[in-house]
Order: sequence, then structure tokens, then C-alpha cells
Amino acid sequence: MSADALLLDVRGASKAFGSTTVLAGVDLGVHRGEFVSLLGPSGCGKTTLLRIVAGLLGADGGTVRLDGADITGVPTHKRGVGVVFQSYALFPHLSVADNVAFGLRAQRRPADGIKATVARFLDLVHLGALADRPVRGLSGGQQQRVAVARALAVAPKLLLLDEPFSALDRKLRETMQIDLRHILREVGITTVLVTHDQEEALVMSDRIAVMSKGAIEQLDTPEGIYTRPRTPFALGFVGHSIRIAGKAGQTTDGVLTVDTALGPLRAKGSYLPGSPVLLAVRPERVVVGAPPPDVPSNAVTAALTDIVFQGSKVHLHFAAADVTLLVETNRIPPGLSPGATASLSWGLADTMLFPGETA
Amino acid sequence: MKAGRPAFDPVLLLAAPALAYMAVVFALPVLVLILRSFGTPTGPSITAYVSFLSDGFNWRVIGNTLRIAALTSLLCLALGYPTAVALARSKGAVQALLLVAIILPLSVGVIVKAFAWQIVLRRDGVVAAFMVMTGIWDQPQLLLFTESGLVIGAANVFLPFMILPIYSVLKLVDPNLQDAAATLGAPPLYRFFKLALPMAMPGIISGTAIVFSLAASMYVIPTLLIGDRFQTLATLTARAFLLMRNEQLGSTTATVLLVLAVSIVMLSSWAVKAKGDSR
Ligand SMILES: Nc1ncnc2c1ncn2[C@@H]1O[C@H](COP(=O)(O)OP(=O)(O)OP(=O)(O)O)[C@@H](O)[C@H]1O
Ligand SMILES: [Mg+2]
Repeated sequence: MSADALLLDVRGASKAFGSTTVLAGVDLGVHRGEFVSLLGPSGCGKTTLLRIVAGLLGADGGTVRLDGADITGVPTHKRGVGVVFQSYALFPHLSVADNVAFGLRAQRRPADGIKATVARFLDLVHLGALADRPVRGLSGGQQQRVAVARALAVAPKLLLLDEPFSALDRKLRETMQIDLRHILREVGITTVLVTHDQEEALVMSDRIAVMSKGAIEQLDTPEGIYTRPRTPFALGFVGHSIRIAGKAGQTTDGVLTVDTALGPLRAKGSYLPGSPVLLAVRPERVVVGAPPPDVPSNAVTAALTDIVFQGSKVHLHFAAADVTLLVETNRIPPGLSPGATASLSWGLADTMLFPGETA
Repeated sequence: MKAGRPAFDPVLLLAAPALAYMAVVFALPVLVLILRSFGTPTGPSITAYVSFLSDGFNWRVIGNTLRIAALTSLLCLALGYPTAVALARSKGAVQALLLVAIILPLSVGVIVKAFAWQIVLRRDGVVAAFMVMTGIWDQPQLLLFTESGLVIGAANVFLPFMILPIYSVLKLVDPNLQDAAATLGAPPLYRFFKLALPMAMPGIISGTAIVFSLAASMYVIPTLLIGDRFQTLATLTARAFLLMRNEQLGSTTATVLLVLAVSIVMLSSWAVKAKGDSR
């Protein structure tokens, strides 16, 4: 098997509850050792897809392959897919160590090996000192680490994490994200994380699958999703953006002129003249002031409405003809105050073009 | 428990009315009853117990009582546990319907039920027909006036008292626990014995304790379903008081029943808990 082979290969997974389609033929390929996030809003079917991969839910259609084998009909306990549940689902009648040992005992591993394995994984998640404690009194962060140790102890081929940080407060969440990433790298396990938090996905993932309404809209590296979103949904779900709707005009030399409320703007691409399109640009690609003369650019005039200081960066809110334009800089431009008008410009290369909504 | 004396919690005062009520209508009379069983014209003595226990017939009565209570508890557990699981997993209208189906029979009096059972337990009744149809019996038999009939009838009355405690425990259990165990490679039987059963155990213990106590002390059901030929401690107590006007015999049998029921319930729940903790 080549090193590039897919460890997890989901093809055409579909699922409906009653008359509502929750998954509409989803494909998902995850490479060995890779960390992939399923990122999407609440209710888009992330958990459903995860449960299908784990065998906790039967799909209506499609196949699931793990490590080359078709496991579509294989029961959960024979799949070798570990899951960390959103609620952690720790066994309340058992101690920390017995929780971690549960899977090993269920699989009838030799007793002396179990003890060593439990100790090793508790150390890995820095819980060695709490081995004999009941899980009831543990803090959220500790419970999460027990859940991770318990899932990893049985050496699954694939680890699934369903919003494992959602029960933690913001500060703890950030440290736990980095901690968990280290732990999983150390173990070298292939991981799929479900989240609706874009920052979490950006921080942790090798690749991100942006999901919307039961379909994966784009599967790409965090940078790829951010700089080259394939759909308006992916654009809007990851990072901020300025969006300007308009109508396609003429295309010359591969550059389309778009009629917008802010005047004619240009973008690379081609659409039928008259069709609705959407132009977008990331806030940090916009500069306040006239464009450099030698670079093909777009420029608009807008009024500053608000300055939001955010520490390492500054958000400038502009408005022009019902369009809000967010500009991100690293310091407040001298002499600019709310109410003032300024020229904003960005490169043609930074202008993204999407099909617009038909009015 | 933490060391040291816990401070008095004023919330406990909420139990005061019930405690006072129980003291007056239950604890006090029972105490009088117990004392009476030791009373003889020549002062306190245990002669009543000695003569009661030296009679082989009475040992059979004790055996009858415990056997019927145990079998009734077992039948209730076998029928009640799966029902409680179904009830805990169901949602919305289905769950409401199940709950009504379980609780509604409680509002039908035992006398009404007893006449219904006579239809079911007759030689040409539904149960006999079923047993013949499935080939378990060669020919129809009369279930009325038999121990089996008594257990079937008693379980029918006490079933809700098994289902409801188990259900109330199960509905608090995270439904993801079974899934989590499966993802750890635990096969179904292992999940049942190491997870589902321990989780349900507090409910099973209280359900069994309630049904066992009720079945050990029931009087109306055996009187209606099996009659005088078959005596339990409860029916014997009633006979002693009502028929024989022998207050000392009555209070002796009542005390024996009380001690047996309480100690068996406490011992078995202690044993189950001890076994659970030793894992
Ligand atoms: N057992 C079920 N019966 C009926 N509908 C269900 C069931 N499970 C999920 N759904 C529906 O399917 C849709 C997708 O659910 P899913 O749990 O996969 O979403 P999700 O992306 O994980 O959302 P969240 O971020 O809120 O967890 C939701 O609209 C949900 O109401
Ligand atoms: Mg979910």
C-alpha cells in the first residue's frame, strides 16, 4: 500500500431522517496520519457523518472504507474507530484508570499489559496522579483528557472527535487544543475532528472539510480554504470578508468588469454578461489610500464608521452605498477618524469572484 | 463520606411532617405489636417464637412466603427491566403512551383484577391455551388455585413498582455510554454486563426491594387466587387475628415476616453493592 493511500475513504454517504435529508452523498478521504476537521454550522450533518464512520448509525447509501477494507456493514466494536464524544461519555461507576482500561479489558488483552498501557496513556495526558479518582468529580478539562486516553489506549486506526472542546471555557479551550494536537502527533493517529469553530479548525487541522447542509463544499488546507474559498459559503464561514454583489459586464483578457453599487470593479474570471456575481476580498488585503500605480487594482471610496482596536490588529469599518467594508490593519491610520472619507484599494489578484444569487 | 460531624441541614425539616405521621401510624403500632409477641401472663418471654418455630407447618409457611415473594420479584424483574429500557429510550408520544399503560393498571383495584384473572387462569383460559399452543403443556391445566397462578397474578399487580424505579435510574444515564463502549471494542454482551447492568443496578435494587416486600406481605391476592389451602406469613397473621382471635400468634407471625422481609432486602442490596464495588 502506498504511503499516500487513504486511511479513511467515505464515498457517497447519504442519510435521511424521515423526509429530511441530512447527508446528501458525502465523499471524504483522509490520509494516513492526517488531521482533518469537519467544519460547519449547527445541524449541517457533522455528527451524523461521524456516527456513520464509527458504525453507530447506519447510512442509507454509500460505503465506508478503512485502511483498504470495506467496513460499511461491520459493527462498531469490530471497526477499530475510536470516538471522543461531545459529552465525553465517561463511565460514571468507574475510576479514571478503569475508564481507560475498559476497552482493553473488553478486548481481553493480557492483564499485566493492561496496567502498563493504562499508566502510559494516563501519563500521556498528564493524569497519572488521578488514576484512582472517580471520574465524577473531575473538571471538564480533566474529563476530556480521560476520554482521549480511553479512546487512544485501545490503539484505534482512526480517532473521531465530536466537538471535544465545546464544554470548556475559552482560555482552557485554546491550551487544550494545542495540547491535544501535540498528544495526537506523538501517537501519530489519523484524526477527524468535528467542530463549528473556525479558529479551532484552523489551529488544529492539516486539512479542513467545510460542510453545509449535508454536503462538503470544500476540502483543502486551512490556507487554501482561506485564500481560495471555492464557494461563498466557505468564504463566509472561514474568516472575515468584504462582499460586494454586482452584475457581470464584459470580459477582456480574462478580466471581468463587474457593475456594483460602488462603481465598476474588476476580477479575474468570466461570466455571461448580465448574470449576478459576488466579489469578495479579505480585510487584510485592503489598504487605505490610493493603489500603487503599477499593480492592477480595485479602488472604492467609503466613509469610516467605526474603529475597533483589537490589540495586535485594528478593524476599520467603512460603509459605502449599503455595503459594509471591513479593513484590517495593524495600526490606526494617522489622521483618520469616524465620518472621514477614504479611498480603499486592493489588488486584482486578491479579488475573489463567485456566482451571485439570482434575484 | 467526609470525616467530622456534618452540620444540621435545615432542609431535613421538610421530612418532619412525614416522619411524625409515620411515627404515629406506623412505628408506634408496630412496636406495640412486636412487644405483644413477647408478652405472656407471667412476663416477657420468647415462648411464642419457640413454639412457632418448632412446628414444621410454620416452616412450610415461611418457605411459601419467601418462595412466592422471590418468584414474583423475579418475574417482575424479567418483564420489568426490558420495559424500563424501552421506556427510557422512547420519546414523546410513544413514551407517554407506555407510561400510561404502566401506571393506569394501578388504578384498577385488586378485586377487579382478581375477577379478570379468573378468566385468564381458567382451564380454558388464555394462558392455558397459550401453553398448549406452544407445546409446553400437553393439555390445558387449571392455573387458578396454584402457586404459578398466584405468582402470575401478583406480578401483574406489582410490575409497575419494578419498572418505575429502574426507569427513573435509566433515564438519567447518558445514552452515549453504550456507544462509547462499542467504539472501545466491547461486544454487546460485555456492554450489557459491565455497563448497562451496573448502571441500572440502583433501580433494580430498589424495584426488587419494593416488589419483594409487597409480595412477601400480600394478603388479598393469595386469598382470592389460591385460598385457604395455601398459607403465607401474611395470611396466617390475618387468620390468627381475625379467625382464631390469637393475638400473640398473630403478632409473632407478623414480627417474623417483618424481620425476614427487612433483613433479606437489606442483605441482598448490600451484597449487590459490595460486589459492584469490588471491581
Ligand atoms: N436521530 C435523529 N432523528 C431525527 N433527526 C435527526 C436525528 N439525528 C440528527 N437529526 C437531524 O439531522 C440534522 C443534522 O444533525 P447532526 O447532529 O449531524 O448535526 P451537527 O452538524 O452535528 O450539528 P451540531 O453542530 O449542532 O452538533 C439536524 O437537523 C438534526 O436535527
Ligand atoms: Mg453535532
